[in-house]
Amino acid sequence: MGVSIFIQQVLNGLTLGAVYTLIALAFSLVMGILGILNLAISEIFMIGAFIGFSLIMSGVPVWLALPGAMAVAAVISMVIARIGYEPLRNASHITPMLSTLGFSMILQNFATNTWGSDPMQLTLEGWLDTRFHFGLVSLSVVQIVVFAVTLGLCVLTALLIQRTDIGRGLRAVAENRDVSRILGVRPRRMILVAFALSGLLAGAAGVLVGLHYSVITPYIGVDIGLKAIAVMIVGGATNIWGALLAGPIIGILEVLTVAYGGAAMRDFIVYGMMIAILLVRPQGLLGGSSKTSGGRV
Amino acid sequence: MLKSMMTAAILGVAAMTAVPVAVQAEDLTGKTVKFGAIVPASGPFAEWGRANTVALKMLEKQVNEAGGINGAKMEIVIYDDGAKPAQAVSMLRKLADDDQVLAVAGPATSSAVEVAFPVANQLGIVSVSQNSSKPGVAAANRPWGFRNTVDEAKLARLVVPFFAKTFDVKKAAIIYDAKDATASAAGAKIFPQILADNGIENLDADTPISFNTGDLDVSAQVTKLRSLQPDAVVLSADYSQAITVLREMKRQGMKTPVVGSTQLMSSAILAAYPELPIVAPTTFFAGLDVPAVKTFTDGVTPLMRAEKNLPGTIEPSLFDANIYEIVSLFAQAAKEAGVTAAPADLAADRTRIRDYMASESDFVGLGGKVRFAADGDAVKSFFIVQAKDGKWTSLETACSSPEADACAQ
Repeated sequence: MGVSIFIQQVLNGLTLGAVYTLIALAFSLVMGILGILNLAISEIFMIGAFIGFSLIMSGVPVWLALPGAMAVAAVISMVIARIGYEPLRNASHITPMLSTLGFSMILQNFATNTWGSDPMQLTLEGWLDTRFHFGLVSLSVVQIVVFAVTLGLCVLTALLIQRTDIGRGLRAVAENRDVSRILGVRPRRMILVAFALSGLLAGAAGVLVGLHYSVITPYIGVDIGLKAIAVMIVGGATNIWGALLAGPIIGILEVLTVAYGGAAMRDFIVYGMMIAILLVRPQGLLGGSSKTSGGRV
Repeated sequence: MLKSMMTAAILGVAAMTAVPVAVQAEDLTGKTVKFGAIVPASGPFAEWGRANTVALKMLEKQVNEAGGINGAKMEIVIYDDGAKPAQAVSMLRKLADDDQVLAVAGPATSSAVEVAFPVANQLGIVSVSQNSSKPGVAAANRPWGFRNTVDEAKLARLVVPFFAKTFDVKKAAIIYDAKDATASAAGAKIFPQILADNGIENLDADTPISFNTGDLDVSAQVTKLRSLQPDAVVLSADYSQAITVLREMKRQGMKTPVVGSTQLMSSAILAAYPELPIVAPTTFFAGLDVPAVKTFTDGVTPLMRAEKNLPGTIEPSLFDANIYEIVSLFAQAAKEAGVTAAPADLAADRTRIRDYMASESDFVGLGGKVRFAADGDAVKSFFIVQAKDGKWTSLETACSSPEADACAQ
């Protein structure tokens, strides 16, 4: 029984870690290119969850609700880029960060006033409600969907960044905005693309969280968002695969801490690990050395 | 013998003098009697506060249409504290100093009450909480702090044995919200003691299972609960957090009956895990077959559902009933205790309300008679209810006080 429970806890941690991975990627896309922490991503994730929930509850199939919510999240993210970042891009880094913090407050208030503060619940039916049992260990179809979508989006993002003109443009802006302009890249457009991609990933994470836990509130963004920032730091803000490695590590660490040490220890361990990484390897597990930190994204 | 007879006679006289003396009601025509209310209309409990507001506006209209308070118009000044203790204190000061209300309903949460009640004592104004049920909070803040709720410990002492007998519970596991004042007091102290008192094995006594307010992922805790194989789960959390646990129990296929405190009372709980028996105590629920409850529910439900920022399926909760009763009692006190509503008499009027609250024993609330014990908490009937087929069903009725006839009509 002990081993079965341990395996179950690891599966719980992997699911949580998958969500962290997507949100961490959303953070690192903007962080890697612009060097700012877009604090509104936590709430864009939450809005994505509500849009996904609303679509599914109104009868839209999951395969359509997912891109629908991602699209809405991307649009919100682009609006933040235009209003909250662009006019402040020449100010110190703290200024646009505070601006995105303001947006996060607005989004949370918007969600409370639109959907209420009570938890919104979803009843899964049909294939989504299927669960596979292996003795005392069980795995749901939704968990498999969470793993598959996370992996798929990570691979797609990596391909986009490394193999396409858009990716090359993003990397050029990350290296040097002025030089990239000379080379024919339009930095303003690339910034918008970075915010849009970031919104797409956060929106997808929101839908997956909604599907997996079947319950959301306007307050889910803060805690999960902070953990995702820890994942980004642990994995390395400049490397897509860093989030894919660190997400499951933090997820499993968190779940095992709660299971064997208690919930009171959880934040101490997770954020303790983040601080340790900052002290020992500030570029993160998969980030380049400090000398090559220009090679962002 | 003679000595004991004399003692009884003295006590009898003392009891008689404690009953409020009928005061000649003053004609207050043309005046306004103002009460205050502090509700959490924003933040994590926004729906509580917004629903409270609807119930209070309905009461204000009802009282004024029935002639007001001895001819005076009744006005309820309602402020939002966002469930934040510091904001609750600011609102209480504003109501007392700027609005010059006679008494205040609220604040709601125990954490807000713990800081607002001492301020009520400083200001000399009655403050009555509609939600707080953390043990001992009113008792520590006499004489101006009251709660129209029953201490969770008193309820749990009656609910747990009933639940254990009904579901044949020999061993149970407790899970609680460690960041919620009431839930952690009940989960870490009250329920373990009551399980022990009733001979029920507490499976997680050595390594308590808890989570934090706002946690969405409680999979690790529920997997741990499942591994303990309890006959029942004691869930100590407010309903919005409890839903997260119930959903996870459902996801992991855990079919163990659940018992909790009044914090579970919400129509939202009914949808979380409809197949699971969930038992809790309450002094009110919308389906209660009592004429006053039916009138209240029929009146307030359409008003709540018409509010654009409340769910279209909302039903009045225990806390809406509590705040409705609190201000109804204020109005009765103002009518019967000789309140003048003159600015010069503000302190005296506030004292009249307080004394009436402390001694009044004939006030009939929605679920039956309500009075306040010496510790400032309400003495009232309560119901042990079970979530069944999408609604709460009453299994048993009891009184929160062991005194004979304490809840008799």
